[in-house]
Amino acid sequence: MKRRARKDIAERLLAGPVVWIGLVLLTAFALGPFIWMLLTSLKDRQELYATPLQYLPVHPTFQNYVEAWTSPVTPFSRFFLNSLWVCSVTMVATTVVSVLAGYAIARFRFAGRDALLLIFLATQMFPSVLLIAPLLTQWRALGLIDTYQALIYSNFSFTVPFTVWMMVGYFSSIPRDLEESAMIDGCNHFGALCRIVLPLAAPGIAATAIFAFVVSWSELLFAISFTTETSMRTLSAGLLYMVGQYEVQWGQLSAGVILSTVPVAVLFTFLQRHLIHGLTAGAVKG
Amino acid sequence: MTTLTLARPRTRPLISWRVRKLLIGYSYLVPAAFCLLATVVVPIILAIRMSLYADVLYKPQDYRFIGLGNYLRLIEDPVFWLSLRNSVVWVFGSVILQFVFGFAAALLLQQAFRGRALVRTLTLLPWIIPGVVVGLIWEWLYQPNYGVINDLLIRLGLMSERIAWLSSPDLAMAAVVFTNVWRGIPFFAIMLLAGLQAVPDELYEAAHVDGAGVFSRFWHITLPLLRPIIVVATATRIIWTFNYADLIFVMTGGGPANATQITSSYTLLQAYSSLDFGYAAALSVVLLVVMLAFTWAYLRVTKGVEETE
Amino acid sequence: MDEGASLSRRKLLHALGATGVIAAADLAWWDEPLIFPRRAWGAEPVRFQWSVPEPTRIALMNSLAERFNQSQKDFAVAIEYVPQAQARQKLISAITGGSPPDLCQAWDNWIGQFNGMGAVEDITARAKAWKYYADVAPTAWQTVTINDKIISLPLSVTLDGIYYRTDRLKELGLKAPTPDWTWDEFLALAKAFTKADKNQYGFGMRGSGTWALLYPSEYCYANGAEVLKDGKVAINSQEAIDALEWYLDLALKHKVTPPSAATDGFVEIVETFGRGVTSMYQHNSGSSGQQKKNVGAENFATLPVPIGPAKKRASFWFSETLTMFKGAKNKEGAWQFMSFMLDDEPSQKYCSTLGLLPARKSLLDRPEFAGDPALAGFVQSFPIGIVSPYLAYPGWGGRIDSDGVPLIQQAMLGKISAKDCLDRFAEILKKEMS
Repeated sequence: MKRRARKDIAERLLAGPVVWIGLVLLTAFALGPFIWMLLTSLKDRQELYATPLQYLPVHPTFQNYVEAWTSPVTPFSRFFLNSLWVCSVTMVATTVVSVLAGYAIARFRFAGRDALLLIFLATQMFPSVLLIAPLLTQWRALGLIDTYQALIYSNFSFTVPFTVWMMVGYFSSIPRDLEESAMIDGCNHFGALCRIVLPLAAPGIAATAIFAFVVSWSELLFAISFTTETSMRTLSAGLLYMVGQYEVQWGQLSAGVILSTVPVAVLFTFLQRHLIHGLTAGAVKG
Repeated sequence: MTTLTLARPRTRPLISWRVRKLLIGYSYLVPAAFCLLATVVVPIILAIRMSLYADVLYKPQDYRFIGLGNYLRLIEDPVFWLSLRNSVVWVFGSVILQFVFGFAAALLLQQAFRGRALVRTLTLLPWIIPGVVVGLIWEWLYQPNYGVINDLLIRLGLMSERIAWLSSPDLAMAAVVFTNVWRGIPFFAIMLLAGLQAVPDELYEAAHVDGAGVFSRFWHITLPLLRPIIVVATATRIIWTFNYADLIFVMTGGGPANATQITSSYTLLQAYSSLDFGYAAALSVVLLVVMLAFTWAYLRVTKGVEETE
Repeated sequence: MDEGASLSRRKLLHALGATGVIAAADLAWWDEPLIFPRRAWGAEPVRFQWSVPEPTRIALMNSLAERFNQSQKDFAVAIEYVPQAQARQKLISAITGGSPPDLCQAWDNWIGQFNGMGAVEDITARAKAWKYYADVAPTAWQTVTINDKIISLPLSVTLDGIYYRTDRLKELGLKAPTPDWTWDEFLALAKAFTKADKNQYGFGMRGSGTWALLYPSEYCYANGAEVLKDGKVAINSQEAIDALEWYLDLALKHKVTPPSAATDGFVEIVETFGRGVTSMYQHNSGSSGQQKKNVGAENFATLPVPIGPAKKRASFWFSETLTMFKGAKNKEGAWQFMSFMLDDEPSQKYCSTLGLLPARKSLLDRPEFAGDPALAGFVQSFPIGIVSPYLAYPGWGGRIDSDGVPLIQQAMLGKISAKDCLDRFAEILKKEMS
């Protein structure tokens, strides 16, 4: 039973106007450039190049979206599906791997634990650009150029280290006694992991999953390096097709940016609601 | 033989659990380790080797072992030291601001209000776009002659003259840091929000009943419980930002006159413009060592990810 | 969660085919609708990397490749489009990884380095036996010849000229400049165009990218200086310093350049001209097509670069090349496609669609090139065109990007003097002469 205690002035102030002002500022800051992108994507060429700068499109048009989505030379629909597949698989695989590894590092004390953590992170301290040449040779030798696998495996190189660290952090903040009491009741480590720890760490796992997805969604370099056919390119690479030699096609680039952010936003909302609820359903808080 | 000690209740009867625990523990790590070995560790070793050679791609006849030659050249390279200074400004400026504002955002997003899910999703947006595209967009926004920022500021009367944000050596770094902050706040917001959500309400209630005010609750409950996550998030973010040259490459190319040249963009330039892979590898190794040292020290100081009581 | 998994690739291609949307409608020259160039059965593949993938060019190259694939059965070209910021990087990675494409489209200043890496195929024999060998201008051959070896075919050539707004000229009641204009006339015009309070500037100076250094070099030549004299670096001669000072004064003293000059790359100078912020800028013919769309063909014209105090001037040739790699698996197919691209119709279609100049003299005489006022300035510049002196050593290209451009940026910002800039630049060049 919750008892409602009286709120003091500081709390009332913070809960009320400060929060509202803060939220407005936050949303405006995050959304500002997007709103500009949205307006740009609805303008035709003439309005884009008008001086002085025109803000609202006088004759809004969806031409940019149509061209971006249906153009056979830059098939955004295809890029979109490629990205969706690669990033979904990366997300799922990375989350599984990092939950296991994170749990092991957080819970088991063994010699070299700190060094191992450092090594995980050290792999991120190297510029990925220099990894391209050896990786290219590797994938070519394995016949994986122009496949989804090359992109997925390459994505692991930067999602796994960070997600392992993230999960170590989240697991470390959950007190051990809950698992211990569960183990007294007769389950093993893996059972304790599933039944006790995962539900508590659910928000952390969701955050890590979305992290893995978003980071691979915006990944560009590997996508360009390990694919040669336009049909295998991802959305990030597709956006760059709008950058011409002497001009950037702002209308279509903006349309492409808006198109590429929508699915991630949807996924995030989904993850927030269902994944967390799914994991926490049936959990019993001590 | 490494010993593995686990906190487990003594009342449990066990038969040769030690070895089994060891194997189970390590087996959890195998998938992760395998991913990394294949994709990263081997190339890093190759790069270390490459740094010991004079390896300029268009002079294959000069290819030879020069030991520490590249490193000596590095020490005497003024651009390298400048880039190191710039890197420090870039990294700490970006991460500190991202952390502060991200934390504030996480606290805001934890409050209950209508449309909370939508606002959370909207906060995530800056992170979704590829860095190169973010660079292009912001470069456009910053454009002194037809960019929105100058236009808005002048229209609002906050400025009278157009400022060339990315072309002036004094403002360029601040401008790219600002863009990086815009891009990086969602990371902290999401990560810290997840951490905040895991804090049980009962702790706050109990403290409240005991008469603790908002700030006191924050300081004594929230921060300590969040410490592992804060440490992890900031450490990973620092490492990431050190190596993050996309924005700078696109927005300023390291200019004007190396004002925004950070070590990792300098490495890129050496590798792909000058085709001096030996030197670029040496730069990468030095950067690797610097970051390792920093991370080790950082973890020591913040007492790593040891569990909180 | 995995919505993408439920749609198989086959279903997707069917759907695409069903919608049958064709973007390249103005290329009705080839009647067939295309999505990707189809491969004839049994044809050997030719891998071709294309480094400027924008929708117009992609559509154009796809139709050309399709035409080639259909005109013969032995080879089938498959084009890989790489965004240009990553194109060079990808080529280098592919070369070092031992698997370059058969053919690539690259600019002449990339080729020197690739050649230095030993990656480029020597096509001297093939080129000399080619039917159009004599039709290509000698200077065009020079841009792709290193040590008497021909290593590429020039797909299109261009050189630098000055774009200027004819409508602004009329508005302000100014006298139209002639092709023989001098530096003083240029400066006077730039000043007349400049109205800083109205956000209008006379000259869009370029501060970023290799050409930020090459344009002022051309002005140095106009003052009688040279990059290499008797095999020695002479870019810091007194004439060069004087010329650079004059050039920098445009920004520092006369302020006829926009404040963003120090980091403006070619996209910016094209866009600022297109938006009417600048009324003149220096560039090659490549952006003429762009400007026709931006400001309208009747509102701008082009001229050769102005004559300097030494009564001289120079404009650097610049060619877009088709280059075959030594590690290519299908050299015959690559050569067939290269020579196809320089046949009458493909070459003309390519160049006229993109506003470039064909490398072959007989095509250059055709009305769409010789008679186009937007290209007039460049055609008139042919007599003063010289091969870029910076192609002399393969190491120079990279150094210009990494060390030279920051120097000129500092000079543009007034942080170092022209003399200092050129002296240091000369040192850099000397070091890379081995």
